[in-house]
Amino acid sequence: MKNRFLKGIAVTAVLAFSATGLAITPARAASEIVVWADETRGPNLASVIKAKGDWVPGYTIKIVTYSSFDALKDAFDKATGTSGPDIVVGGNDWVPTAAKSGKLAPVTLTASQKARFNPTQFFDLSYKGKLYGVPVDINNVAMIYNTKLVSSAPNSFGDMVNYYKANKAAKGLKAGLCIAGGGMSWGAHSVFSALGADAYLMSKNGAVNTVQSFNPSIFGANVKKYLLTNGKSNGFFPATDTGCKDNFLAGTVPFAVIGNWEWKDYVAKGFEMNLMPVPGVVDGTYGRMFGSVSGALLTTFADKHGVAAGAKSLLVNFFGSTEGQVKYQLLEGRPPAEKGAQKDASVSAGQKGFGSAASLAGIPQIGAFLNNNKGGANYWDSAPAYWTAVLIDGKDATIEARKLAKIWKTNVATGKGDL
Amino acid sequence: MSKWLKENLWRHATALGMSLFALFPLYLVVISSLNPTGSLQLTSFIPRNISWNNYKILFNSPAIPYLTWVRNSLVIAGAVAIISVFIGASSAFAFSRLRFRGRKTGIQILLLVQMFPAILALSAIYVIMERVYRFAPSLGLGSQAGLVLVYLGGAMGVNIWLLKGFVDSIPIELDEAAKIDGASAVQTYWLIFIPLAAPVLAVVSLLSFIGTLNEYILARLFLVEMNSRTVAVGLQQFIGGQYSQNWGPFAAGSILLSIPIVVIFLSLQRYIVSGLTAGSVKG
Amino acid sequence: MTLLFKGKIALVTKIILLAGISAILLMLAQSALARKEYAIALFLLIAVLAMNYVYLTSRTVPFKFFLPGTLFLAAFVIAPIIFTLIMSTYNYKTGNYISKQEAIQRVIALGVEPDEAGTTFDIVVGKTKSGELAILASDTTNNKYFISTKSERIDLNPADLTLNADKVATGAPDFVRSTSAQQASSDAYTKIKYVYEGKYFISVESLEAGAVFRQTLEYQPSTDTFRNLLNGTIYRDNGKGNYANLKKQILEPGWRAPTWFSNYEKLITDNHIRGPFIRVFIWTVAFAVLTVLTSFGFGLLLALALNKPLRGRRMYRSILILPYAMPSLMSILIWAGMFDTEFGAINNILNTHIAWFSNASFARAAVILVSLWLGFPYFYLISTGALQAIPSELLEAAAIDGASGRQIFSKITLPLLLQILSPLLIASFAFNFNNFNLIYLLTGGGPKDQLGGQIAGATDILISYTYQIAFGSNVQDLGLASAISVIIFFLVAGISLYGLRKSKVLETFG
Repeated sequence: MKNRFLKGIAVTAVLAFSATGLAITPARAASEIVVWADETRGPNLASVIKAKGDWVPGYTIKIVTYSSFDALKDAFDKATGTSGPDIVVGGNDWVPTAAKSGKLAPVTLTASQKARFNPTQFFDLSYKGKLYGVPVDINNVAMIYNTKLVSSAPNSFGDMVNYYKANKAAKGLKAGLCIAGGGMSWGAHSVFSALGADAYLMSKNGAVNTVQSFNPSIFGANVKKYLLTNGKSNGFFPATDTGCKDNFLAGTVPFAVIGNWEWKDYVAKGFEMNLMPVPGVVDGTYGRMFGSVSGALLTTFADKHGVAAGAKSLLVNFFGSTEGQVKYQLLEGRPPAEKGAQKDASVSAGQKGFGSAASLAGIPQIGAFLNNNKGGANYWDSAPAYWTAVLIDGKDATIEARKLAKIWKTNVATGKGDL
Repeated sequence: MSKWLKENLWRHATALGMSLFALFPLYLVVISSLNPTGSLQLTSFIPRNISWNNYKILFNSPAIPYLTWVRNSLVIAGAVAIISVFIGASSAFAFSRLRFRGRKTGIQILLLVQMFPAILALSAIYVIMERVYRFAPSLGLGSQAGLVLVYLGGAMGVNIWLLKGFVDSIPIELDEAAKIDGASAVQTYWLIFIPLAAPVLAVVSLLSFIGTLNEYILARLFLVEMNSRTVAVGLQQFIGGQYSQNWGPFAAGSILLSIPIVVIFLSLQRYIVSGLTAGSVKG
Repeated sequence: MTLLFKGKIALVTKIILLAGISAILLMLAQSALARKEYAIALFLLIAVLAMNYVYLTSRTVPFKFFLPGTLFLAAFVIAPIIFTLIMSTYNYKTGNYISKQEAIQRVIALGVEPDEAGTTFDIVVGKTKSGELAILASDTTNNKYFISTKSERIDLNPADLTLNADKVATGAPDFVRSTSAQQASSDAYTKIKYVYEGKYFISVESLEAGAVFRQTLEYQPSTDTFRNLLNGTIYRDNGKGNYANLKKQILEPGWRAPTWFSNYEKLITDNHIRGPFIRVFIWTVAFAVLTVLTSFGFGLLLALALNKPLRGRRMYRSILILPYAMPSLMSILIWAGMFDTEFGAINNILNTHIAWFSNASFARAAVILVSLWLGFPYFYLISTGALQAIPSELLEAAAIDGASGRQIFSKITLPLLLQILSPLLIASFAFNFNNFNLIYLLTGGGPKDQLGGQIAGATDILISYTYQIAFGSNVQDLGLASAISVIIFFLVAGISLYGLRKSKVLETFG
């Protein structure tokens, strides 16, 4: 028995050491910069990078594409320096938490690099005074109206509601205004705002009022006046975004809030980009919309991998450059964040309406307030909850608005420390 | 006639009612997959315009390597099914037939370990495979082989009851006869047990095959490259973003994936029933 | 066939197989060692030794059967469980995520501030004549140029330099520019603080630019404290994974720090967490019990209905096991679509406009309905088998004694069935207790009264609630979620063990 055991060990050992020549295969080259992105951005980035190999001389760039934005976030949450990315293309709301956890590394831009962007975009990607990436594309929404149904742009929220009530039966309308892009929290902010509920109040010079919230009585009264009949939804504004895009394209909804990343779908169906902000209850006022940027964010893993300088160069030479953004956005079709690329005719054609809507009524999306849940729930969860409570469950619009105002007020007051 | 009614009416009514319940969603997927608009919205329950458009999207769109996904799923689930059935069967055999100290404790631990809510353990598995990736990229994070290894973690315990029940039902006299002939436990296992257990092994591997096909939480973290994804990850991604728009292709993809499984299942029906039964009866 | 398992051929095959696998594992162990993954290398070595010991000697026959499964179990089930157990005693959440060592490095790296003007320079990386790493910096607006190393700064005369079109110096006397390949292969040049003025230094910000900073936070290893160099404030380890000053202001990032049972304490004492925990626990048990009961009930009913030759029985059976054969991931998503408010088939048929997943009762009903659909075929199959296993003599004898059909069922058939099926019923209960996929894909745990301050949804079961805490939102608390996982484990394991003991299943193990 012992003999057999020894024999086995001997054979094993021989085989093992004959194979050692193949043993060590490094997992990644020392000069490889790894970028993680989601399912739409990834392939487009990969083909742009492939077309021009020397964005950063001496380095190779590898794009890793996840099957969805959620999967990307999931993986980035779990990743460590061992296999994590050097740069991740993510939402601006990732910045505060990932920076707080030590996963993102700050970048310092030169004056000329800074001049390529709008300062509020840096604000979006900053945490406690330090910048963690460069803006890649702008995400915003605008309201589109179907000219086959309505001949001209509405002047006020009331105009739209009146149109809906008057034509509901005759034209088989499924809703008056719905949210097709951005969801019932982000995309619907302009509707909140149009009716008097801003996530935070900002003065003209851009300072945030961290003491006061919106007035829940006025907002509640507006919701009752425009969205409800006898305490129940009048059908003008659905509480969910399901099917909004389908219905708008089918001509059964006259007004829809759409995202600038999908304008091509509307153009393809023959719609013109008749875009505007959601009109407010008073003529000439508008509901404010969030504008946010997605950024190419620098991770602390880049330093561990020994490619920090190369990764930062990739940020400025490719992600934050006119040439890089033009080439990339030609494929991706989102509005570029970089000023030079914004002027490029080939990129900006479909985006003009969004830009002018944003300039009428855009507000920065401040993660420190919106992600904060000290008030009991963050903005993203509490906003859709309001629509559900009032429009579906039939709860009182003003009472729920008071709860909402309290939550948002606490989130703003306690979140200002993270600015 | 009235006796027949009394005896059989409730039987048919029950069977028919439950059959309709079982079929209803499946019928809806089939008609959704033939719906030319590809949307979740159904205009009628009887399809008027039949279109193969949704199926064409699956096969022609360069962004959707559906066949590659299916192949990946089959390879991964097949490997897991085959290896895990042997791991499971040998453990079940040992628990059922061999007398050794700690037998009862062993099976209790095995059972309890499986009840640990594995969702959080994902982070740990991720980190382990990240480390494996550092020295053996082809077995670590991002590789199908690595994913198979992780799935095999549960191989021993998942179907242990079923298999053990089956082994228990094989007369012990067979083993004893073999022992008299001078066969060792290992020989008894390979020469007597495995051939006898073929049907139940088929069932267990089928169950683990389906179980693996269904898994997407680990798969979507592991298989990042477009061409290495499994069909579960791919199809889930379809309706992840734009729920109502991609419904048609999703339905078509689900059907295509389900057909082979359902066919195998139905053809193995007899074995499945007897396998599950054997597993349950002897408990 | 027999030959394969007996005699010389078997032995040789076995040795070759063993040697082959051992060789691969040893090779991997060696690579792991080379990459300093000691734990994995150790595991692989133990695996090789155990394998050879078990299969080459006859000392542990049972392990010949258990070993492969045990190794996988240890690596991918037990190890993660131990990890979760350990993490449940840590303050491990957003903001306290990395190791202490990493956190110190990050605080040092972040503890700098730019000069008032935010000065930056165009730079070229290279070496001085003496081989020291250096940068050649250009201030193109003021036409100032200099070379800087970690110890000195040498101002240059523009006339001596090679300038490019943007007036950036690309070459200077006594300066050797690094090639891009050299820069890419070693990042030593990024770790240096290049001399600028006074306390200010230049750090490499990309391959082409450097920025001026001064250090504001300094780490003192001897006392394990940070000192603010501008105002002298001292930050100490607060025992919870952060450096904090006396005013409890903390430095970010923190690290995951052992805090023993604080996560468990939070579960018991923090009202905000305990409240939903209890509510979710009740629903979890209700959900698991209802699912098992309804599925078993309908499965048994069907088994009884089809327990005698009946026209169409084969067809019924084929249809009835379809839900079991369909990949459940697909079927759950299909059901989710059917319950959609706007387009869903269910509202379409009922001609209603119910927001199924926005109302707690409707959502719960929907969850139970779907889990019934997924579960009844399995119970139908096993009940059929169990019914056949009940000796018919028993039932005939009862009938002769004059028992009615109903009596026979309730006094003989059902108790026997329950006895036979109890392990499977318990297993099914344990499975549904942790049926994450169903909840996550169908309702996502909702609806949730966010405005009322709820943090758990009406259909959230413990595991989906835990997932929400651990990974679900921007602010994640892995430590707390791990603690909940451990509690869930003890609950399920306790209930199951009790059930198993009660059903006397374990006694078959003597």
